[in-house]
Amino acid sequence: MKKYRSKIIIEDYKNNFIYKKNETNLNIQFNRVAFIFFVFFIIYLIYTIHLIHLGSRKSKIDKIENTPVTFDKLYRADIMDINGNYLAKTVKSIDIGIKTSDVIDKKKLLLSLKIIFPNKDFDQIEKKLNQKNYFYLEKKITEENYEKIMKLGDKSIIPEEKVLRIYPQKNLFSHIIGQIDDDNNGISGLEKSFNEILRKTKKPIRLTVDKDVQFLIRKELIKYQEIFKSKGSAAMLMNVNNGNILSLVSLPDFNPNERQNITDINYINRITKGTYELGSVFKTFTFASALNEGLIEPETEFLDLPKSIKCDKHRIGEYDNEIPSNLSAEQILIRSGNIGSVRIGQKIGPDKHKSFLKKIGVLNQINFDIEEVAPQKNYNFGKCKLATASFGHGVATTILQLAKGYAIISNGGFDVKPTLIDKRTQNNKKKNRILNKGVSEQVVRVLRKIVNTEEGTAKFANVLNYEIGGKTGTADQPKDGSYSEAKINTFASIFPTSNPQYVFIVMLDTPQKAKDYYYKYRHQKGGWKGTLYNTAGWTSVEVAGKIIDKIGPILATKYIEIN
Amino acid sequence: MKKIVLILSIFILILSTAIIKNSAKKIEDEIFTVKENLRFLNSEFEKIKLEHDYLGSSEKLLEFQSQYFDDELIQKKIENIKVFRIQNKDKKILNLNITKE
Repeated sequence: MKKYRSKIIIEDYKNNFIYKKNETNLNIQFNRVAFIFFVFFIIYLIYTIHLIHLGSRKSKIDKIENTPVTFDKLYRADIMDINGNYLAKTVKSIDIGIKTSDVIDKKKLLLSLKIIFPNKDFDQIEKKLNQKNYFYLEKKITEENYEKIMKLGDKSIIPEEKVLRIYPQKNLFSHIIGQIDDDNNGISGLEKSFNEILRKTKKPIRLTVDKDVQFLIRKELIKYQEIFKSKGSAAMLMNVNNGNILSLVSLPDFNPNERQNITDINYINRITKGTYELGSVFKTFTFASALNEGLIEPETEFLDLPKSIKCDKHRIGEYDNEIPSNLSAEQILIRSGNIGSVRIGQKIGPDKHKSFLKKIGVLNQINFDIEEVAPQKNYNFGKCKLATASFGHGVATTILQLAKGYAIISNGGFDVKPTLIDKRTQNNKKKNRILNKGVSEQVVRVLRKIVNTEEGTAKFANVLNYEIGGKTGTADQPKDGSYSEAKINTFASIFPTSNPQYVFIVMLDTPQKAKDYYYKYRHQKGGWKGTLYNTAGWTSVEVAGKIIDKIGPILATKYIEIN
Repeated sequence: MKKIVLILSIFILILSTAIIKNSAKKIEDEIFTVKENLRFLNSEFEKIKLEHDYLGSSEKLLEFQSQYFDDELIQKKIENIKVFRIQNKDKKILNLNITKE
């Protein structure tokens, strides 16, 4: 046993292990729970971001509605009146074509078609089936017939979807809406000036015009155009406070559904494009200008007014030679005195009067919603131009500008921008004052006297309960450097004069006397048969009165606020 | 204990996120369907309105008047239009007056 004895030596084991930090780039210093928390937090964060993204993105429908309609090149947005009635609308229609090479049984097809379209000429259709490769069987097919024809299940029947622009009111708004060409481009009216917007958006454009008011005005205007045999006529109704145009009619007009190529100059828009020397309606501006400068009061006397004066060889006379020689400024306007107006104009002076006419927009280029606006000529106001402009000759302007001028004169003297586009959301409060305080009220008071007093020139427009005020204008039309017998008869009215709301202008281009027309007096009993004078007082005033008779109840109940 | 609460809350959050997302998707689908239906109804409405505008145009109405109503429809004058006003339970019928004269 001793032999195998061996020594066991226990030595201390020298451990060479040295703790060293892991020197990798990933330095995770938190414990396991924190790490798990971190991982879950990241997952949670991802989900939260996704959820926020889902919540904030726009729906598919919104995207469809707001993106430009590029898929349909012929699409245009609709146009509506102030009450949401369609004035222009894009509708889809289906044309049915026949691809003759795909017809299997001609007899069977013809028999089926005869049942659906019993009134068609089937001899012609049979000929086309034999001769042509493709022809249109029916354009703008009704839904009922479309369903029937598609139920036949014949593959030779090809439906073609097309887009149409229709104007359900036909001629009624032709000068406002205008026309489009076959390439879907607007060529006149709002269709032209709003071309890009109409093509890009789906939202309809709402106008300020009222379909019913427009209809009544047009109807009366057509009636009196026949009575007075005028070459053309125009009427415009505008809110004096916000410039919203409720009606704009110019005759003759056209049916935009027919897409005619109109070249006749008589079809111009007489409200915006036609420029006219409008005559005595300008005397209101002369009177207002002098009041505004503080040069006269309505009672200021003008004595020894001659019956005629001369300016550069041209004679300026009175229309009515019985007009008194001594008149107050107010009476000059009421009796429409030419010489008196010249005297008032001379008191103002050329520069100040020109500046006034520009400020109220009568001789200033107007910026309007439709492009067919006449360029405004810039006149040099010398001695004679001042004299003629004082009573509305020698200077030409548009009915639109005239309406703007009368709106400013009657709304308290604030600037106004005539518009056809309904901007209900915008602030329509009066801002820029043009006339001094009190001037507007003084002018309106005199305008009322022109209608409701014996010596006034517009008695036929004294419609009860509407307090109409206004000024007549009978102007000779210029021809070859002189003046012709043809007239432009205008009546510019505002109502109700106690709180002016509307300016209404009627213009007749080249009217004639009507022998058989019976005038019923509004200021006294009885009447008169036949037009006595070819003046505004006997033509356009009568028309304006009759129109206000018709549209008055609509305006009073629908648009004028009652306290 | 703290760890359990933490894990539990994380789990609940994830679960709630999933549920919310799921229900949001369902609602979105429903909205899409409703909007699609609305679009169809709108186009139908536009067609009918166009027809109504045509048949109810002043021109057509006057045509119908002469055909069916003859003298039954007459133009109202402003003096025949009255205003019915209720003020503090008092009912008054007043003349429609837009002027001060």
